[in-house]
Amino acid sequence: MANFLVWLVWVVAAAACLSSALAVISFTNPFYSALSLIGHLASLAVLYLLLGGEFVAAGQVLVYGGAVMVMFLFVIAYLGDRSDTSPWTGGPSWQAIGAVLAGGALLVEVIVVVGLRAGGFLSHEAQIDRSFGSPEHIGQLFLTDHLLAFEVTSIVLFVAAVGGVVLGAHARQIGDDPSEVDARA
Amino acid sequence: MHGPDITAYVILAALLFATGALGVMLRRSPLIILLSVEIMLNSANLLLIAFARLHGREDGQVFAISVMAVAASEVVVGLGLIVAMGRRNLDLDVDKLRTLRG
Amino acid sequence: MAAASWTCLLLPLAAALAITLAGTRLSRRAAAYVSTLSTMGAFAAAVVAFAKLLGESPEARTHSTTAWTWLAAGPYHFGLTLLTDQLSIFMMLMVSGVGSLIVAYSVGYMDGEDEERRYFAYMSLFVFSMLLLVQGGNLLLLLAGWGMVGLSSYLLIGFYQERASAIAAAKKAFIMNAFGDATMALALFLLIQHTGQLDYAGVFASAPHGGTVANLIALGLLGGAVAKSAQIPLHTWLPDAMEGPTPVSALIHAATMVTAGVYLIARTHVLFENAHVIQDLAAGLGALTLLMAGLIALVQVDIKRVIAYSTMSQIGYMFVGVGVGAYSSGLFHLMTHAFFKALLFLAAGIAIHAVAGEQDIRKLAGIGKLMPQTKWVFLIGSLALVGIPPFAGFFSKDPIIASTLARGDWFGYLLFAAGIFGALLTGVYAFRLYFIVFTGEPSAFAREHFHAHHGKEGPLSMRWTVGALAVLATIGGFLQFVPFWDPLTKWLDPVVPALVDATNTQEAVASVLAVLVGAAGIATAWLIYGSKQLIAPEPVRLFEQKFYWDELYDRLFYYPTDLFTRGLYAFVEQPIIAGSLTAVAGFFGLGSEELGRAQNGLVRTYALALAGSVAVLAVVFLSVR
Repeated sequence: MANFLVWLVWVVAAAACLSSALAVISFTNPFYSALSLIGHLASLAVLYLLLGGEFVAAGQVLVYGGAVMVMFLFVIAYLGDRSDTSPWTGGPSWQAIGAVLAGGALLVEVIVVVGLRAGGFLSHEAQIDRSFGSPEHIGQLFLTDHLLAFEVTSIVLFVAAVGGVVLGAHARQIGDDPSEVDARA
Repeated sequence: MHGPDITAYVILAALLFATGALGVMLRRSPLIILLSVEIMLNSANLLLIAFARLHGREDGQVFAISVMAVAASEVVVGLGLIVAMGRRNLDLDVDKLRTLRG
Repeated sequence: MAAASWTCLLLPLAAALAITLAGTRLSRRAAAYVSTLSTMGAFAAAVVAFAKLLGESPEARTHSTTAWTWLAAGPYHFGLTLLTDQLSIFMMLMVSGVGSLIVAYSVGYMDGEDEERRYFAYMSLFVFSMLLLVQGGNLLLLLAGWGMVGLSSYLLIGFYQERASAIAAAKKAFIMNAFGDATMALALFLLIQHTGQLDYAGVFASAPHGGTVANLIALGLLGGAVAKSAQIPLHTWLPDAMEGPTPVSALIHAATMVTAGVYLIARTHVLFENAHVIQDLAAGLGALTLLMAGLIALVQVDIKRVIAYSTMSQIGYMFVGVGVGAYSSGLFHLMTHAFFKALLFLAAGIAIHAVAGEQDIRKLAGIGKLMPQTKWVFLIGSLALVGIPPFAGFFSKDPIIASTLARGDWFGYLLFAAGIFGALLTGVYAFRLYFIVFTGEPSAFAREHFHAHHGKEGPLSMRWTVGALAVLATIGGFLQFVPFWDPLTKWLDPVVPALVDATNTQEAVASVLAVLVGAAGIATAWLIYGSKQLIAPEPVRLFEQKFYWDELYDRLFYYPTDLFTRGLYAFVEQPIIAGSLTAVAGFFGLGSEELGRAQNGLVRTYALALAGSVAVLAVVFLSVR
């Protein structure tokens, strides 16, 4: 019974994941695309839960859904309606064919490579206990084994924040009165 | 664990990755491109988490969190660029922004 | 003896080197005198050697002197050997003797010419080369001298470098002679293969008798002789060679170089006797040439060309002589021919010199009235040429004709007929020339352009040398009068024993017929050109066009070669050689153009490139691993 439930949830979540991803790239209105991405992120969070990553799932919803997507939506709202009239056209003649071929090749390769490399591993699932993926374990790993990654990631975030401020500032020209700069949109 | 085994997750991640790649290569609006990049990053994350589960170690999840942080930073910068483009009333069309030509 | 031979050979070489190395430090006159004196010195040395030989018994008259081993390759050794025997001393005396007279003549003829030093250097080089040819003790040295006279001839024909016709004539002569050189070389290769040596005594003893190899050897040598002596079929270069200065025509193309073929056949007579067919071929070619050249000379209007064809014809007689085995007769005719032909050329040269270089006989007509001394010497030369006694040609030409009778078979009678008819032709063309140019009223051109040289007909150097030759042409024949006294035949007999011996009756018949026929020819010429009682017939087109030999060779050799090279250019050079380079360049240009299309500035294209590369690289890494 439980297995059946797991399968059901999985199928639903996977279907939602895939269809929302396709929706993201297909909508002409960027607002709809962003909303589809939110759905995509939510279904991914469900999948993470199925895989025992509770902390990651929570982080996914909070960070991606709560911050990144909110940013996206604010920017889209700020920019106004910029719907693509003809989303799939443009570029050199071979772009479409090439893109499909390259995408297909990547698809096949990922499956094949992982299949080849993983070899016998794929069938040996490890046994886990209830505290697998708990914040406690993640925190321990971050602050012991992967401390460097932790610190570097924080620097990256810091740099991004600075970059964001710089990019968002109004442009200043020589001889400007500082009060006038803000008035320029 | 019950439910589908690792191969299902691999296939799903591959499909998501391809979808994201198509979106990057075939759409003209930088917003959509950015969203497609998000899809690709998330597909990688999915794989990481799945294999963490397979091996019974949370290292994969730690990596996935770092990826999330980096993705967020990249979105900040990207959106900052898009806002700057919008402020200058440039067309949000990557085909029109081609001073990178060699 | 050895010293005299080496002196004779090396003096002209020393003169040539001295004039070349001194350059402008030597004045032009000085260069002329250096050359003349060296040739006379060579003659003096030859006389000394001759005197020594005279004092010896006939069997002992062969002296070989070797300086050092010139070429040593495996089992083959060739020395720098000079041979002084009866035959070579005969040729040495003639070459250096007539040579010194002609070089002395050039002192006056080439006076005032800017390039005088070059001329005399080349003349000395020629004399050295010809002496090397006749003095060489083995076939290799003979070939070396052979090639060098060819070179000197080329240099001297093309002496007037600014004239395109002169350069073309020089090339033509050299190329035709090169063909002969090649056949000779092939013959020498065969000789080395079959006898292992090239010195005369050894080769003649061990050469093959009869059979294909012997025939090939003789044929190869004949090829060289035919080319050098301007016989059919390698004769077309000689008339064109008249582009050179007149003394050159006299020395090289009348007296000495062109007779080298006759010397060759005489020297290697053993090899020719081993191949009867080829020796008969030589005689046949000589007969054909003497007839053809005689016919062509009937209609030529350039004075030097008439004399050139006459040379060709007389050498034909010499070939007939050595072809039937009458070697000493052929060589005797070679000697007298040198005298009277050089005389004719040099006398013509005086006339040409006096009329500012004009050579057309119609324009020179009647100049005899203005230049009586020249007229007389030219008459002497013409009479000698036709063979009227007591002048030189009579004593030398008739024994050749008699020897064809002595041969006895149908071929001999054919040669006899040719010889007699040739004598008739000689009479006509020689005296046609004499009567037109040296008798009658001077033409308007002649009157206008004639200028005497300080009151005389020409400079002193030109007058005394021509006079000396006239004397030789008059008395030179008396060296040998075959039925009665034949010192020359006796002298040459140890080296070149004759194959045939004409009886006295045959000699008498031949002589009488030849003289009668010659006189008839003179009479004909007088009737048409002298007293003008008969109208001159229309010149036969065939003769005027020199029997179309030049046109034939053009079609046969030049035209296909031209076509071939054009074909090569169109199908190999352009598309393949040049085309491949252009294609390589084009390939790169095209390639970079196509590649440039990838740099279109679109981010999406770059993303595609990234995705594609990753896809490909993944495969690569997988398969390598």
